Amino acid sequence: MTDVTIGQPVRRSEDERFLTGRGRYIDDINLEGQARAVVLRSVYAHACIKNIDASGALAMEGVLLVVTGEDWIAEGFGPMPTKTAIRKNRDGSELSEPPRHCLAIGRVRYVGEPVALVVAETDPIARDALDLIDVDYESLDAVTDAVEALAPDAPQLWDDIPGNLCIDFELGDREGVEKAFAEADHVITLDLENNRVTAVPIEPRGCVGSYDPETDTYLLYNSTQNVHAIRDTLAENVFGIDKEKIRHIAPDVGGGFGVKNSAYPEPPLVLYAAKKLGRPVKWINNRSESFLSDTHGRDQISKVELALDGDGTFRALRTDTIGNLGAYCATIGPFTPTGGSARTQGGPYDFPVMYYRGRAVFINTGPMDPYRGAGRPEATFQTERIIEYAARQLGLDPIEIRRKNLMRPEKLPHKTSMGLNIDCGDFPKVFERTLKLADPGSFAERAEQIKTAGRRFGFAIAPYLECTGGGPKEFAGVAFGADGTVSLSVGSQSTGMGHETSMAQLLAARLGIPFERVEYHQADTDKTPIGGGHGGSRGMELGGNAVAQAAGEVIEKASGLAAHLLQSKAADLTFEGGSFKDSGSGASVSMVEVIEASFDSERLPDDLEPGCLDTGSTFERGEISIPNGCHAAAVEVDPKTGAILLLGYWVVDDFGTIINPLLADGQVMGGVAQGIGQVLTENIVFDDSGQLITGSLMDYGLPRADGVPDMVIEYYEGAPTKKNPLGVKGAGEAGCVGSLPAVVNAVLDALKEFGVVHIDIPLTSEKVWRAVQDQGAHDPKGLIEGAL
Amino acid sequence: MPKIALSVNSQPVSHDVEGRLLLVDFIREVLGLTGTHVGCDTSQCGACVVHVNGQPVKSCTLLAVQADGADVTTIEGVSPDQGLNPLQQAFHEKHGLQCGFCTPGMVMTAMALIEDNPDPSDADIRHGLEGNICRCTGYQNIVEAVRTGAKVMRG
Amino acid sequence: MQDFEYQKPKTVTEAGDAFNAQSDGSFLAGGQTLIPVLKQGLAMPSGLIDLAGIEDLQGITATESTLTVGAMTTHARVAASPEVQKAIPALAGLAGGIGDPQVRNRGTLGGSLANNDPSADYPAAVLALSAVVVTDKRRIPADGFFTGMFETALDEGELITDVEFPVAERAAYAKFPNPASRYAVAGVFVARVDGAVRVAVTGAGPGVFRAAEMEAALDKDFQADALEGIAVSEADLIADIHASAGYRAHLIGVMAGRAVDAANANVGAA
Repeated sequence: MTDVTIGQPVRRSEDERFLTGRGRYIDDINLEGQARAVVLRSVYAHACIKNIDASGALAMEGVLLVVTGEDWIAEGFGPMPTKTAIRKNRDGSELSEPPRHCLAIGRVRYVGEPVALVVAETDPIARDALDLIDVDYESLDAVTDAVEALAPDAPQLWDDIPGNLCIDFELGDREGVEKAFAEADHVITLDLENNRVTAVPIEPRGCVGSYDPETDTYLLYNSTQNVHAIRDTLAENVFGIDKEKIRHIAPDVGGGFGVKNSAYPEPPLVLYAAKKLGRPVKWINNRSESFLSDTHGRDQISKVELALDGDGTFRALRTDTIGNLGAYCATIGPFTPTGGSARTQGGPYDFPVMYYRGRAVFINTGPMDPYRGAGRPEATFQTERIIEYAARQLGLDPIEIRRKNLMRPEKLPHKTSMGLNIDCGDFPKVFERTLKLADPGSFAERAEQIKTAGRRFGFAIAPYLECTGGGPKEFAGVAFGADGTVSLSVGSQSTGMGHETSMAQLLAARLGIPFERVEYHQADTDKTPIGGGHGGSRGMELGGNAVAQAAGEVIEKASGLAAHLLQSKAADLTFEGGSFKDSGSGASVSMVEVIEASFDSERLPDDLEPGCLDTGSTFERGEISIPNGCHAAAVEVDPKTGAILLLGYWVVDDFGTIINPLLADGQVMGGVAQGIGQVLTENIVFDDSGQLITGSLMDYGLPRADGVPDMVIEYYEGAPTKKNPLGVKGAGEAGCVGSLPAVVNAVLDALKEFGVVHIDIPLTSEKVWRAVQDQGAHDPKGLIEGAL
Repeated sequence: MPKIALSVNSQPVSHDVEGRLLLVDFIREVLGLTGTHVGCDTSQCGACVVHVNGQPVKSCTLLAVQADGADVTTIEGVSPDQGLNPLQQAFHEKHGLQCGFCTPGMVMTAMALIEDNPDPSDADIRHGLEGNICRCTGYQNIVEAVRTGAKVMRG
Repeated sequence: MQDFEYQKPKTVTEAGDAFNAQSDGSFLAGGQTLIPVLKQGLAMPSGLIDLAGIEDLQGITATESTLTVGAMTTHARVAASPEVQKAIPALAGLAGGIGDPQVRNRGTLGGSLANNDPSADYPAAVLALSAVVVTDKRRIPADGFFTGMFETALDEGELITDVEFPVAERAAYAKFPNPASRYAVAGVFVARVDGAVRVAVTGAGPGVFRAAEMEAALDKDFQADALEGIAVSEADLIADIHASAGYRAHLIGVMAGRAVDAANANVGAA
C-alpha cells in the first residue's frame, strides 16, 4: 500500500538536512590535497591584451599554477558553442557566432572576462597572487547600449561580425499584420524597456574538479543545473575527449533560476588545472565575482504596436525587439530575444494575426542567458503593457478590454501566428475567478482612506500565457534492492523545487509502495545515460513523465511475476490500490510482495532473475504544454515620494495536473517575488565605459521579507492537457511571467489621475515621483527609432 | 597568532587563528561546521547568521578573535540529534524552504526573534527577517513557519 | 584581507597606548563597517585594537536633562533601552532602523560617529540634538564634530568614550531608505531643545548638515506646514544611480515635514 497520492501536499524529504545544516553544497565539498583556484578578471570592458607577466605571482610562495589565454590556445582546446535552437536570420542565413574560449584570447570584451586562472595552496594566497599578475592592456572604445552598438560607427566587438548583430529573427505573418494595421480603427504604439537583471541565487557558483591519471578520467562537482549538457560541451567541444571520460555531479544546489544552466569557463579551467597539477582543484565565486561573471537576463527594448477597432476588438499585434547579448552568444543567449520572446506573443488573447521581429546584439558586457521565463516574461510584459496603454489612450476600461478579447475555450485547439499550439485552457474562466478572488471593489473604502492620507490606490489584472521548454527527452531509472529500497534516478534536476519529494511521491503513488522506500538520485552523469537537467519548467513535464513511464514499465514487469505468484495469467490481472488482483479468482498480491518475491529465487519463475523488475525508461515529449493563468495586484503609491507598497496579490494558475500543490505554491510565490524585484528594486547598471556599477547587494536591491505581500493562490484544473501522459503544464516560471505586468499596471492605475501613462521598469521611487511631477508627459516613441 | 578559546554549541574549543580569519570561516573551515553558509560579501544576505552570546549576528562580519570567550551557537547546535526542533518542524510543515541555502541563517534569526518576542505579528516577523534574504520562497511560507513555530514554542 | 595584529585592551589608556604602538592602527568597534572595508581590501591596518573589552565605554545613563550613551553601546541596546525610550524616544527609533537586526546587535554609536558615513543615521541625531561627543581627551560639540565626508574632528588615536544627548522637548527622525543598502537616501532629524529648533539632514549631502531655513521657520511655528515653500538647494547634494540631487532635495522637504508631524505626535518615529 502507498501512503501518498498524486495531488497530495506531501512534506519534503530534503527538508531535514537543509534545516539542520547538513545540506551538502559545493563549498562544503573538499577533496584530499585540493588546491584553490581564483580567476583574474578583466578590468576593462574592451581592450587588447598586449602582454601578461605572471612571474610575480608564480614566484609567490604557495602559488602552483597560472594559466593564460595563450597557454589555453596552445593546448588546442576548443571554444564553447552556443546551443540555441534559433539560428536563422530573416534572410535565411545563419546567426553570427564568435568563438567563446574559457580565457580571453588576445582581447577582452567585458569587465569580468576571465584573463587568467591562478591556482595556489589556499584561497587567500591565490587572491593575493592576482595582484602580482601584470596585464598590459591597451584599452579600446566600448559600447554598452544595443541601439548604439548597431550604429555604423559603433565599436566593433568582433572583426567578422559587422554591426555587432548576432541574429535578426522574425516570426509570424508580416503582410497580414500590415494589412490589419492599415484597416484597423486605431493603431497604438508603445516603446518599452525590459531592464537587465541577474538571478542571484543565494549560493554563488563553484566547482571542485579532479583527474585520475590511471583511468584518464575527470570528476567534476559543480553547482550547476545541467550536468549532462555541460559535461558534453566540456568533453566534446572544449577538450575533444569522449564524454564518458568526465563524470559530472551537482551536489545540493542553492538556487539556479537559469543562471546555473549555462556553460561557464571556470569548470573546464579547473579540470585542466587538476590534471596539470595532479591534485584536485576547488574554485568558489564570491558574490562580487558573481555579479560580474554570472549570466544576466532580460535587457530588451521593444516597440510594440496594437491594431484594434473602436470597440476594443484586437486586430493585430506587432513587436520589434532588440535584445542585448553581451560579448558572446553564451549557452542559448540568442534564443531569449528571438524565439523565446516570440512564442507567447499575444498572450491568451484572440489575435487574428501577429508578427514578431527580434534582434540580438553584441555589447561589451558579460554574456546574457535565460533567466526564469527566458523570454516569456518579456512577451507577457509587452502584450499586457500595450493593452493597458491602449485602454488608457482610447478611454476603454482595462478590465473590459481584456475580457472582450480573451480567447474563448470554443476556439481551442488553436495555433497562433507564432506557431504555438494552444490545446486547452479556459482563459475567461480563470480571468473571472481571479477578479472574483481579488475583488477590487472591496477596496473602495480603503482606497478612499489611502487617498485621504495623500496616497493613491491602484489595481491591475494580468492574464498570462506560458509555454514550457528545455530538453525534450528525459530518463528515469528504477532499481530495486533486496532490502526493500527503491532507487529512483532521474536526469532532470531540482535546485530547490523539491523533486526528491515529488518524484518519489509520483513513483510511490503509481507503484503503490510506501513513500519512504524511494531513494532519489539526480544530477550525476553516471546515474542516468541522458539528462536534461533543469530549465524551461521541465521538471514534472519531462522528469515526472519519465518517472511515470518507468513506473508503468515496472508495473508491466511486475504483473508477469504477480501472475506467476498467483498462478494466473497476466492478462487476467488488474493493478489497483497497489495490488494485482485476479478478477476471476479474487486472489491478489501487493506490489510490495511482488518486489520481495523478485529477490527470492524460490519464488521466481525460471526465466526471471533477481532484479528483474528494474527498468530504465526514456520519455520523449511531443509538444510543449501551455500553462496559463492570471495575476492581480493591489498597490498603494505615495506620489510625494514615489514609494510603492504592495497591498495584495492574487493568482489563479492552470498547471494541469498538479503533483504536489504545496511545492507548486512555492514555485509561484518565488517567481512572483522575483518579478516584484525586477519591476521595483533590481537593476543591473553599467557606466558608459562598461564598468558594472551595481556590483553588490548594496546597490542591487533584492526583495526582503518586508517587501513582498501575502499571496492568494488557486489552481484551475478544468482544462486538462493531453500533450503528455501526466497532463502536466510546467509550473516553475509562471510566477515571473505574470508578475511584471500585474505590478506595473497596478502602479500606473494608481497614478492615472496624474496623467501618468507609462514608466519604464524598474519603477524606482524617483522615476515614479518624476512621472507624477511631469504630469505624465511621456514620449511614446524613440527607443528603437535609431535602429530601425 | 592570537589564541582563542570559546564555546561552540556548548563544546569548548580553542585554536590559534590569524587576526583576519572571519568567524564564518572559523566555523566552516576550522571546525568543519558547514551548516552556516556564505552568500554575499557585503553583510546583506544573512546566510551566515549564528548566535554569539545569545544574539543573532552575521558571522561573515565578525572576526574569530572577536568571539574569544564567547558562546557561539550554530544551526548544528540548535538541531536535535534526530529530527527537528519545533521551529524547524514548522518550517517543514509550511514549506518555508526550497533550496535550503538561506535556511540555517533564517532559522537562527527566527529563533532569536521568537525568544525576544514570543507572540510576533506578521509585520514583526517580516521586519525581523529584514537581514535574511531568500530568493526561492517569496517569504510567505517562511512568515507562516515562524508564526506557527512561535505558537508551538509558546506552548 | 591582509593580516594584522589584534589586541583587546581593558581600559581607554591601554587602547590609546596600543594604538600609538602601531604604525597604522585602527580601532575596532562593532566592525559592521570596518570588517567589510577590510574584506574589500580598501584598508590594510597594521593592527586592530578591539574596544569591546573596555567596560567604561558601555552603558546608558539618564538625568532630567541629559542622556549619556557609552560609545560602544550597540544600536540594538539603544533601541531597546527603557532609559532611551523614556528620555529621547526618537533616538531609540532611529537606532532601531539602522541596518538590520543582526547589524544592530554589533554596530555601535561610537563606531558610527567616528566613521561619519554621509548616509549614516546617527550623525543626524547628534547634530540635531546638539549633542556633545566626549572623547578621552576633550568634549566636542556636535557643530564642530563632523568635518567632511568620512571625516571628523577626532585626532589620530583619539577615542570617543560617550555621547551626551540633551533631552529634547520634541524630536523625531524620518528616513527614506535606499531599497538595496537600506542606508538613508534622505534622513531628517528634527529636535526642539530648550526652545531652539535644529534640523539635521543625512544621506543627501557629502555629510550631515543643518537646514538653517527650515530651523528658522520651525522656530516660529513648529508645524509641518511651516516648511512649505522652503527647499534645500540641490547644489551640494549627492547624485548616484539611486537618487538624483533634485530628488534628494525634494525628499528632504518631505521627510522634514514627516519628522515634525511625528515629533508633535510624540512618536519617536523613523
